[in-house]
Amino acid sequence: MAGVPRNLLIAGIVVLIILVIGAIFIATRPPQPTPTPTPATVKLKVIGPWAGAEAEYFNKVLEEYKRIKPNVEFEYSTVRAEDLAKTLPLQLDARTTPADIIITPWGWFIVEMAKKGHIVDLTTVINKDDYVAGVLDSVTWDGKIWAAPFTMWLKPGFWYRKSFFQAHGLSEPKTWDEFKSLLDKIKGISGVKNPIVTGDGVGWPISDVTEHFIIAIGGPQLQLDLISGKVKFNDARVKSVFEAYLVPLIKAGYFSEPIEWTKAVELWWKGDYALYFMGTWITGMVENPDDLGFFPLPGAKGVVGGTDYIFVPKYSANLNVALEFLKWLATEGQVVHGSTKAGKIPTWVKASPGALWKPMQDVYRKVQDLKLAILPDMDDTVGGDWQTLFWDQLKLLWVSPDKLGSVLDTLTREHPATKG
Amino acid sequence: MRLARRLRPLVFLVPPFTLIAVFVIYPILATFYYSFYDKNTGLLSLDNYKEVLLSSNPLNIIIARSFSHTPPWGALVHNLVWVALHVPIVTFLGLIIAYLLKYHVRGSTIIKAVLFLGIVIPPAVGGLIIRFMFEADIGIVPILFSYVGVESLSKTWTLYPQTALLALILGSVWLWLGFSVTVFAAAMETIPRSHIEAAKVFGASTWQIFYKIVAPQLKPAITVVVVMTLLWDLKIFDIVYASTGGGPGGSTTVLALVMYNYFARALDYYKSAAVAVILTLVVIPFIVLIIRRERG
Repeated sequence: MAGVPRNLLIAGIVVLIILVIGAIFIATRPPQPTPTPTPATVKLKVIGPWAGAEAEYFNKVLEEYKRIKPNVEFEYSTVRAEDLAKTLPLQLDARTTPADIIITPWGWFIVEMAKKGHIVDLTTVINKDDYVAGVLDSVTWDGKIWAAPFTMWLKPGFWYRKSFFQAHGLSEPKTWDEFKSLLDKIKGISGVKNPIVTGDGVGWPISDVTEHFIIAIGGPQLQLDLISGKVKFNDARVKSVFEAYLVPLIKAGYFSEPIEWTKAVELWWKGDYALYFMGTWITGMVENPDDLGFFPLPGAKGVVGGTDYIFVPKYSANLNVALEFLKWLATEGQVVHGSTKAGKIPTWVKASPGALWKPMQDVYRKVQDLKLAILPDMDDTVGGDWQTLFWDQLKLLWVSPDKLGSVLDTLTREHPATKG
Repeated sequence: MRLARRLRPLVFLVPPFTLIAVFVIYPILATFYYSFYDKNTGLLSLDNYKEVLLSSNPLNIIIARSFSHTPPWGALVHNLVWVALHVPIVTFLGLIIAYLLKYHVRGSTIIKAVLFLGIVIPPAVGGLIIRFMFEADIGIVPILFSYVGVESLSKTWTLYPQTALLALILGSVWLWLGFSVTVFAAAMETIPRSHIEAAKVFGASTWQIFYKIVAPQLKPAITVVVVMTLLWDLKIFDIVYASTGGGPGGSTTVLALVMYNYFARALDYYKSAAVAVILTLVVIPFIVLIIRRERG
């Protein structure tokens, strides 16, 4: 030791002491909580049929989910049901998918994709008892559920402006004769072109009003039997609905020529027409929804209700996250959507009607008070190329009511259930 | 060395031929094959053709079994009506307009630019515009007829089987006319001015100059316009899809729309392939005929 410089020895001892104290401090320190790893952000691609204001209402639903699950991001694309039907089958056949979550009102299309084995079975993912009765029928195949229902729209009857009715001393009809008398009174009002404006587009607005006549006059069961093919369109009961009720109104000029349906909303609102048969989404399309009233055809025991369905392709890269979102969307997500101006009501029975947007609460209450059964939309349920045929033949009927016989024969001949 | 020199062209030919084989030849052969494919049995048969040709769905009928004086007559007949009306109108009108603009109108460039706008508009958008052009109260055509007191034509043309097909064909003339005017105007630039002036010196009238001097020298351009218009008419889809969807009552349906209906509505790709083959078979004779005439 004599050879070691004294200063170096002291420095070595000091370093050693520091190291020992440091080691003791670290060893006796209480364990620090390990920071929880932030879950990786997942981007879900969502395809839905909504654009414009409707997409904004749906965006509120997505925003709410992002608030609950900050690690989920969304990329929303608008693809109409018609466009989806022409592109998605090929993409799925190629074992790829453009989105993790897809929403469409066409139950028949979902079943077609299920038959090809492209989509996830949701039988154990959702509880069918939590939904409005019958709403899952069109997406059930082979005893399994292939899509979850989202919010529902109703096609409850003829919409009118309360201010217009008040100004002209009009009231809602309670009988068929009162309905005809109302149409006559409206026809006599200066400035009104036709009592009822007919919406047009690809054709669905005309099918809606036709289905309402079938339900109101023939009864809810007739609607169901026509969908299933148990009753044919050229059946005497169906013919009488057209011959005795609908066609005479068309011939008498109570309905306008078909007009593009969004333009028809404007014309009807400014008083060119008094009544408009449309779905509940009209509540979100007018300046003042408090001025809106509606009535079903006298004697109606049911109304058509349509639903958007959510499904998950098997080829989603984020299957678990997508299914978790689907579960929320089909339950709490419906409540959020119902509270917007989308004009929809939840199909989830646990949703409180009190959470609905105010004008929709009134519509919902009236449907409940009138004890109207909610029935499936005929053309959306039958689907396929019969759907476009149905729209087209009704458009033809509207301008050529004398062709009723051939229209009903064509619809019978081409219906998938009665074909051949 | 000699072998290497012989193989050298192949090195350059293989890439384009591979692309053509993958993206052109294979799809053609596959379409042809699938048009015979029976999805139920997996065998090849003529059933798809039989069902397509005998379809009773008004939106998918190829040829109507009975003919009345107004449509629907079936998709193939509607295509031929397009050809019969659209080709001559676009060709003659384009020729006359190009001639007048070239020799009789000052500042014709602006007019040509306006006419050419129709070609720039995407056909699907064009279909929507046509729909509104012929809509009562807002469309220019019904308003004009209403103004002159023809009530039967002051309605929405696309809603009635009697007028819907004609509305689409006339609307298509508006969209396509810019093409023929442009082709003819460009071709007229190649006619020496001296020919026209010499004809004038010899006392030729405007009609004689057009008929005997200008038109014969435009033969190649006329062939181009006729062939392109013919193809446009036979494969017409977007305008019909966006304006009427083939209705009312199937009175405006065309072959390409029937193919689409099988593909996207019925989700039956095999019948869609059968219609595609029929459409090709319809187009080929027209093209062969025109090419032969041009060579002759």
